[in-house]
Amino acid sequence: MQIIVNILISFSIFLFVAQTFVLVYLPTKFFNLALAVSLAFSAYFTYLFSQQLQLSLWLSILLAIICATAVGMLSEFGIYKPLRKRGASPMILMIASLGLYIVLQNIISMLWGDDTKSVRMGDIQVGHEFLGAYITDIQIITVVVCILLFVACVVFMKHSRIGRNIRAVASNPELSNIIGISSDRVILWAFGIGSALAAVAGILIAFDTDMTPTMGFNWLLYGVVAMIIGGVGSNWGLVGGALLLATAQHLSAYYIGSQWMDAVAYIILILFLLAKPLGFSGKRLKKIEI
Amino acid sequence: MEYILHLLILVCIYVMLSQTLSLTAGFGGMISLAHAGFYGMGAYTAALLAINFQLPFLLALLIGMLLSGLLALVVSTIALRTIDDYFIICTLGIQVIVFSLMNNWMSLTKGPMGIPGIPAASIFGFEFDNKISFLILTIFFTAIVFFIIRNITKSSFGRVLIALSEDEIYTKSLGKKVYFSKVASFTIGAMLAAIPGVLYAHYISYIDPTSFTVDESIFILSIVIIGGMRNLWGSAIAAAVLVFLPEALRFLGMPGNIAANMRQIIYGLALIVMMFKFSQGFLDRKKT
Repeated sequence: MQIIVNILISFSIFLFVAQTFVLVYLPTKFFNLALAVSLAFSAYFTYLFSQQLQLSLWLSILLAIICATAVGMLSEFGIYKPLRKRGASPMILMIASLGLYIVLQNIISMLWGDDTKSVRMGDIQVGHEFLGAYITDIQIITVVVCILLFVACVVFMKHSRIGRNIRAVASNPELSNIIGISSDRVILWAFGIGSALAAVAGILIAFDTDMTPTMGFNWLLYGVVAMIIGGVGSNWGLVGGALLLATAQHLSAYYIGSQWMDAVAYIILILFLLAKPLGFSGKRLKKIEI
Repeated sequence: MEYILHLLILVCIYVMLSQTLSLTAGFGGMISLAHAGFYGMGAYTAALLAINFQLPFLLALLIGMLLSGLLALVVSTIALRTIDDYFIICTLGIQVIVFSLMNNWMSLTKGPMGIPGIPAASIFGFEFDNKISFLILTIFFTAIVFFIIRNITKSSFGRVLIALSEDEIYTKSLGKKVYFSKVASFTIGAMLAAIPGVLYAHYISYIDPTSFTVDESIFILSIVIIGGMRNLWGSAIAAAVLVFLPEALRFLGMPGNIAANMRQIIYGLALIVMMFKFSQGFLDRKKT
């Protein structure tokens, strides 16, 4: 029973992080690895405001989300937009985001040190017993917030004006520009929303399992794996990908040992690419442009 | 003086690593984040063979290269079904798998405890147990690696690689074996990357998984990119600069842990700047 609860927790975080990632991926078409830093930054900003500056928790969470969003939008403004204007390919953008990730992650290390920091209040709770499984308050909050925000995000993309614009730019940037949707502004929006969501994920993770400067990278990569398995641009694909990944990880943790969880995630990815290089519902990945 | 010799040996090791990655990433156009994995494969093979079977250095080197090449052959046939950014994610996956094997396969690799007591390298009875002789050995191997890669890139195979990294479809239309060439270049790169691994294991005489992490892969890739992707001398110079950089920062009075972070920040920034320079793709401007 515990394993089902664990799968549920991982699943909701994977789903949420993957959704965040897709949101930025759709209009820009590149893997923004620097989102991992938005995740870590928000956790550390929460730590800064709530523990070091003694602000109230809700205020510090709000401020942390704002700061992380600002970092995300500034990176789009300062790095990716000029690069796009120079005609950079997605791969170039991805390496630039890797560089940005290294820079920001080391800034965190310099400011706060490499050791584990905690934003938890008081003692570690045992958690509630629920059909023979234990689940803590913060884990319940994580699952609920992640799934709610995922649904909200799906609805937002379908029905709001900004969401529709993002999808328009995703499917054809030039055509969107012609009918008066500024792709730059839409991408900036996507970065803003994506970073804010990543910030929420980061704070939730930090409350559950504390923080280190490199915490974002693993979670982000799980999100990427879920996204590739699920195929880009399909919400149900994402759900399936995240579920498959979470199930496989926790089953392997149960039967083989939890230290193999990382390896299992990537073995699944590689097996998946072997069988179905395009994901559940992915688009073509070939280097063909005629 | 001892310390400078130590740094020079490290420079040579990173020069080899960056040259081998340059073959894959620069000439073949396959940006790989799995290089530290192959480097580690070499190191672990050498360490385990030397300790458990007392194999001579050169034989261990050969086996290390073969194993690393075999792994590369298997994974590249799978990973090369994808391209560009998907390929980078794939190689990242390979790197993580290799790392977790090193870190978790307790019975074989002793996990995070690492493997101590690797004997000094010896060839035909001559022991390379002091720094100067080992430096000469490393320089010798660096020269060999450099020579091999230079010849590969100047050969017709090298030209096929350059062509396919710029336009795969066109290269295919000329009747070149694109997929085969990619797999071959990835495998050769990984095989040669085992050499610095073997040398490292014998030199430090103690290895643990933290030397072969994703960060190490990113570092090697940064050297290649900062060196100019297809510029073998460029990546050699970049390797030297990046290895000496934290020492220079420490010399300027920065505490050690901040110097390490500063180094990463500097090469992260250098990566971003290089991306601005290469924003049109990794074409060799001088020749086009």
